[in-house]
Amino acid sequence: MHILLNDQLLQLSTNCSISELLQQQQLTSEGLAVAINNNVISKRCWPEHQLQSNDNVQLFQIVTGG
Amino acid sequence: MLQIAEKTFNSRLLLGSGKFASSQLMQQAVKASNCQLVTLAIKRLELNKPQDDLLTPLRNMDIQLLPNTSGAKTAREAIFAAELAREALQTNWLKLEIHPDPRYLMPDPIETLQAAEQLVKLGFVVLPYCSADPVLCKRLEQAGCAAVMPLGAAIGSNQGLQTRAMLEIIIEQAQVPVIIDAGLGAPSHAAAAMELGAAAVLVNTAIASSPDPVEMAAAFADTVRAGRRAYLAGLVSTAQQAVGSSPLTDFLAEL
Repeated sequence: MHILLNDQLLQLSTNCSISELLQQQQLTSEGLAVAINNNVISKRCWPEHQLQSNDNVQLFQIVTGG
Repeated sequence: MLQIAEKTFNSRLLLGSGKFASSQLMQQAVKASNCQLVTLAIKRLELNKPQDDLLTPLRNMDIQLLPNTSGAKTAREAIFAAELAREALQTNWLKLEIHPDPRYLMPDPIETLQAAEQLVKLGFVVLPYCSADPVLCKRLEQAGCAAVMPLGAAIGSNQGLQTRAMLEIIIEQAQVPVIIDAGLGAPSHAAAAMELGAAAVLVNTAIASSPDPVEMAAAFADTVRAGRRAYLAGLVSTAQQAVGSSPLTDFLAEL
């Protein structure tokens, strides 16, 4: 299946959770936030939340700012 | 002690983490300032770019992290940013800022109030950056904000307390901490804000853009403390004419 990850098309095997996606992308969860189809997904749901075909996944990170 | 919501802080200086030449320099400035509240921002992750470990050193310093909603132009965008920030940092503390105008970065009072009302209902501890408007500050307080953060001058302008007369009214009326945010360009500006009775100040550009940010952070810490002590001691009133400080002896007349 395909998803959009920060506007990039990505092919994934089915049954991929958010946590598995982050692992594949070699990202740590600290300071990270995930929205799927413009809904913010709670961190505690990341291990179980299964991605669906055509999901628009957006990743955000904490940066410096005033 | 500064109390915001259920937390107490020894320091009345809040630091913004933006504009530092490096995150190491920012961490050193945070340490030198003894501050306990540091603002951060949230943005879209750039894929294939290594993640900078910004948070571990701050967490080790026992800092309350205060994510902002900078970049939001509407209440809706700010609420989305707030929900992202809450997940990213696992904190419900939030500096709400909505400034659609890129030239002056003036906070939008209507969107800010609407967002504040909703965010409080969603369980956030909301600290809104706002105009130095006494009516708006009262409305934000009534909406349940944990503090108000009126501006001294435009963000990054270093002009000091341009809004002084309005800040005096805001401080007089407030039942929540008043944190003067934005525009403080020198330690003397921070002292003046504290002498007025502000609960705290938030400084970023004046420290981060100084040639020596660490020394400047320490200087701000000193004047924030001095200004607070002066406020508690009680400032004397001003006079139009001289009022002598030495005894008026008459020995000169005897010569």
